[in-house]
Amino acid sequence: MNSITPASIVLLLPLFSAFTILLLHKQLKGAAALISIGSSAVCAIVAMIMLGAKDTPFGEPQHILSFIHLTDTINFDINAIIDGQSRGMLFIVTFIGFLVHLYSHGYMKDDEARPRYFGSLSMFMFSMTGIVLADNLVMMFIFWELVGLSSYLLIGHWFEKPSACDAAKKAFLTNRVGDFGFMIGILLLFGLNHGSVEFADLADSFKNGPLHDVKEHHQWVITAAALCIFMGAVGKSAQVPLHVWLPDAMEGPTPVSALIHAATMVAAGVYMLVRVSFLIGASEFAGEVIAGVGGITAIFAALMAVQQNDIKRILAYSTLSQLGYMVMAVGLGAGEAGMFHLYTHAFFKALLFLGSGAVIYACHHEQDIWKMGGLNKQTPATYITFAIGTAALIGVPFVTSGFWSKEGILGAAYEHCKILFAIGAFTAFLTAFYMTRLMIVAFLGKPRTDSASHASDPPLVMVGPLLVLSILSLTSALPIVRERLQAMVPHEHHSDAHWLIVGVSITALVAGVALAFKLYKGKDKDPLNIPLFANKFYVDEFYAGLVKYAQDRLAWIVTGLERIFVDGLIARLPAAIACRIGSAARSLQAGHLQGYTFLLGAGIVLAIYVAVFVLPRIGG
Amino acid sequence: MITLNHYLFVSGALFALGLAGVVVRRNILVIYMCLEMMLSSANLALVAFSRFHLTDGLPDYSAQALVFFTITVAAAEVAVGLAIIVAVYRAKNSIDVESVTKMQG
Amino acid sequence: MSAFSIEVLLALLGLAIVLAAAFLPAVSQRTLAWTGIAGSVVALLLLCGASHAESSLPAFVAPYYSLDTLSLFYKAFALVITALVLWLIAESDSTLSNYSADGKLGELVGLPLIVCTGMMWMASAKDLVTVFVSLELVTVAFYVLVAYTRKSALSLEAGVKYLILGAAATGVLVFGAAWVYGATGSLSFEGIAKGVQNAAVNKSVLLFGIAFLLAGLGFKVAAAPFHMWVPDVYQGAPTPVTAFLSVGSKASGFIVLTRVIDALLANGSRVTSEVTNLLLISAAITVLLGSLPAIFQTSVKRLLAYSSISHAGFLLLALASRSSARFDITSGGVVAFYLATYLPMTVLAFFVLCVLRRQGIGDSLDELKGLGRRSPLLALLLTIAMASLAGLPLTAGFLGKMLVFVAAVDHGYWGVIGCAVIGAAAGFYYYFKVILAIYTSEGTTEEPVTVSIASKAIATALAAIILILGLYPRPLQKVLAAPAAASVALGK
Repeated sequence: MNSITPASIVLLLPLFSAFTILLLHKQLKGAAALISIGSSAVCAIVAMIMLGAKDTPFGEPQHILSFIHLTDTINFDINAIIDGQSRGMLFIVTFIGFLVHLYSHGYMKDDEARPRYFGSLSMFMFSMTGIVLADNLVMMFIFWELVGLSSYLLIGHWFEKPSACDAAKKAFLTNRVGDFGFMIGILLLFGLNHGSVEFADLADSFKNGPLHDVKEHHQWVITAAALCIFMGAVGKSAQVPLHVWLPDAMEGPTPVSALIHAATMVAAGVYMLVRVSFLIGASEFAGEVIAGVGGITAIFAALMAVQQNDIKRILAYSTLSQLGYMVMAVGLGAGEAGMFHLYTHAFFKALLFLGSGAVIYACHHEQDIWKMGGLNKQTPATYITFAIGTAALIGVPFVTSGFWSKEGILGAAYEHCKILFAIGAFTAFLTAFYMTRLMIVAFLGKPRTDSASHASDPPLVMVGPLLVLSILSLTSALPIVRERLQAMVPHEHHSDAHWLIVGVSITALVAGVALAFKLYKGKDKDPLNIPLFANKFYVDEFYAGLVKYAQDRLAWIVTGLERIFVDGLIARLPAAIACRIGSAARSLQAGHLQGYTFLLGAGIVLAIYVAVFVLPRIGG
Repeated sequence: MITLNHYLFVSGALFALGLAGVVVRRNILVIYMCLEMMLSSANLALVAFSRFHLTDGLPDYSAQALVFFTITVAAAEVAVGLAIIVAVYRAKNSIDVESVTKMQG
Repeated sequence: MSAFSIEVLLALLGLAIVLAAAFLPAVSQRTLAWTGIAGSVVALLLLCGASHAESSLPAFVAPYYSLDTLSLFYKAFALVITALVLWLIAESDSTLSNYSADGKLGELVGLPLIVCTGMMWMASAKDLVTVFVSLELVTVAFYVLVAYTRKSALSLEAGVKYLILGAAATGVLVFGAAWVYGATGSLSFEGIAKGVQNAAVNKSVLLFGIAFLLAGLGFKVAAAPFHMWVPDVYQGAPTPVTAFLSVGSKASGFIVLTRVIDALLANGSRVTSEVTNLLLISAAITVLLGSLPAIFQTSVKRLLAYSSISHAGFLLLALASRSSARFDITSGGVVAFYLATYLPMTVLAFFVLCVLRRQGIGDSLDELKGLGRRSPLLALLLTIAMASLAGLPLTAGFLGKMLVFVAAVDHGYWGVIGCAVIGAAAGFYYYFKVILAIYTSEGTTEEPVTVSIASKAIATALAAIILILGLYPRPLQKVLAAPAAASVALGK
């Protein structure tokens, strides 16, 4: 039978919490938040204990539940892989999750629908844990969709606002596009590998199994499968061209943005890609595409961030850009570097979002940085922690975690592809520029509005998580911490290029910061005006046009085809036949007892005739 | 000499007559008697098979046990059946099968 | 305490309730019904605690009585459905007693327990004698139950039709048993299994008997072409009895059929292809003749009757798809699983009909209109039941159908699978017609429908079981997989 294992506690406790809140949210009221926070606290503690646990052998995942067991070959179990990758990620998810729960308790104090919020948050924790622990692609896909659902619920938490509603829909639909590819990829692998989609099986199969043969003879099939799987990551990790949902997702409550749209869910794509790194490694072309998409996302998002004025949107674009870095690393075959950046990024980006939440809270829900200013005196705690987060993000050398992880990715890029290295370096410069701009405009100078001049630090329940996260932002890359937390670390190689890369990073950083100071110091208005960046390269407009012109035409043709084939040949014709047979069969049921007895007798005669005279001859 | 086949022939004829009666007769009571005839034909076949299936010179009695059960069960069936037929007669003043054709389709 | 003594006690309780209903007018109908429910629940608990070793049986029944997993499962199944049917009877006592001869429920409360005894005993049958007697115990009791509300013309008509056709089927069954006995020289399943492997047995005589035997059993499980009684009898019978017929009677027919088919298709059987083909032909016709006429039905009760026929077709298909190496569950196990998923959804659907009937709402589709407003809970429960009957994923019904399809695909029965797919597709149409009527149309009134709290709880629990089985069927599958594993071990 199923015994209670730490993994099953971490997975099922949030589900239990979500269900309790769902069923009893009217009765629970305030207690709902406590249940949710309590469950996340327990999960964080268990995950911390699990950090010290032994690896289970890769091929023998820890069993949690038998889900569907149709035959011995068609069965899907809920199993957990416990290895360095999942343990580290599990810790990030549960720990940041716990901090965000705590923070939300303060941030959402006045919200009427708090039980719903916390219920959805628990639901998210359950789904995200499922992705982290998944030992096969089907389980991962199920939780992948559940994550999408909880993200939808949380973005649309304030569904009275039409913009929040639209953003939730946009996020969900955009993700569907990616998930569609993901599903096709899973089905491809399911078919190629004879019905098994467990990661261990797949990896084995590439060494000496069905997938190995396919790779030898039909390389393009593997490439197609890898790219389809990658589409899932493009959707969830918001890579170009499906990045459009993430900035809009900032309509959700800020703690949600910190947890889901910065630290965990959007990183799930990267996590998944690292899990199937054997697949990406099997196709060079797919790796190149993935690295290219990552690089493009990194630089485009950074350019867009330069011209944003909403504090959360700046952070959202910076998240996109950092995710681009990670995906690029995975595509270059340096999955460890990507995971390491994911790990450090989770802490400092959560910190930045929670910090921006504190700013928004302090300024009475003002999000435009040009209406802030001078917050360094009003809200010193927020200012200091936010500055630490910024330092980590722009990679201040040697003292912040971001520096080390970004350097790992740049190193990988330098080794494999000089163009991507150049893109990465330029993105680092842009990052330094727009983050310094944000700091200068929002925190330095003089208050520009009343709400900014009356701002004050939020309560301890919100500042506490900020402090914890800022400590981790500084220290998480130190060997002593990262080993404890089971982070995946890129192999250290001190090549000649090492100092070159460090030099380039520092130059980019200094140049970005200096330029920002020069342009923005003491300004009340944005001196730069680049409509192309401010309007996000017109991607949204392009999609709108695409939908308006191309889709309508296409829809017209498809409708015509559907009328003839689907509606006519597949639906109406068989329906008419079925109705004919149905009404004929109905007239057998004439209600006369004699008719029935006659049918009974005829049936018996028929049965005897068929059994004794017909079947023995054809059956042989 | 009467062989197994003779018995089986009679039994089959009885069964066919019973079934034919059930199909063509309109009086529910007569139909019910025909049904009893079908059961009797089965009993006859059972006994005949049992009598001609000798082991150590003795018939196999398990089939004959079934015959007793059949007779008993048939009696119970008749008791319930007649009650229902009487109820039909009271309600409709007729025991013609055509009086019960309200449900159809 | 052995399982056998539980059955004896249950029959005695049934008799006691019938007598109490006749001679103790002071005791209310609901009390009697709840006594019956309590009795069957206690019996269920005793069954769980009872010794499952065959050595615990008294010497005089041991040779005729098996206690394997399947028989225990069906015994528990019989007790559960009996308790639920008594609950439905208690729920609709006011409507039913209006139509009974003396304005009371009397036997309607006691007889289900006796039917239950018959079904439990049948689950343990090892030979055709036991099968016959227990089957008749069930059938004769059902004659009374169907015609019980005899002031209603429909109930009486249903009673007559069931009586005549049922008695004819009994005759056919015994006649078939006689010929199978004549061919194989045995009435026990073990002996028949030996007989079908024996080259000295006359194959034509054997097939002649088998055709009769299967026809008789086919009638009990509503297999085409012996299904014509079902719509009329289901529609006319009191609603709780219809639920009982639909689930209990069908389950008991299928346990017998499982045993008979197991014997006829024993390894090395000479009639394997004939019997399998008979089952497949019947399965295909049953699914089609069940689901296609259902499209036109306007009475939900009659619609459920046709649905019951169509489900019987799926069960026959499962029975014909003998276990293969890919399954850890035998075809008998698949049938049992399907029936276990079929129980909660059918009872739930009939429960809603019972409650509505008590409020003066009939069972036609028109009268269901606007239910979504009148009682959101009942509407939701009916929706879950219908979705599961149709086989919507994430409900129990889906997994039942899925198992059947997987087993059939394994054997490559593509023709029958095609018919089954057509049937399932038609099912979506007519089940969703009900859902559509509940939610989309405006009813004539918006007067709320009241349901007692206990009934709400039981009905919600049934709906929860449907969803849980649909999401996490493993425990049930494990229970049913056990005998297969055991037989594999024996085979090695």
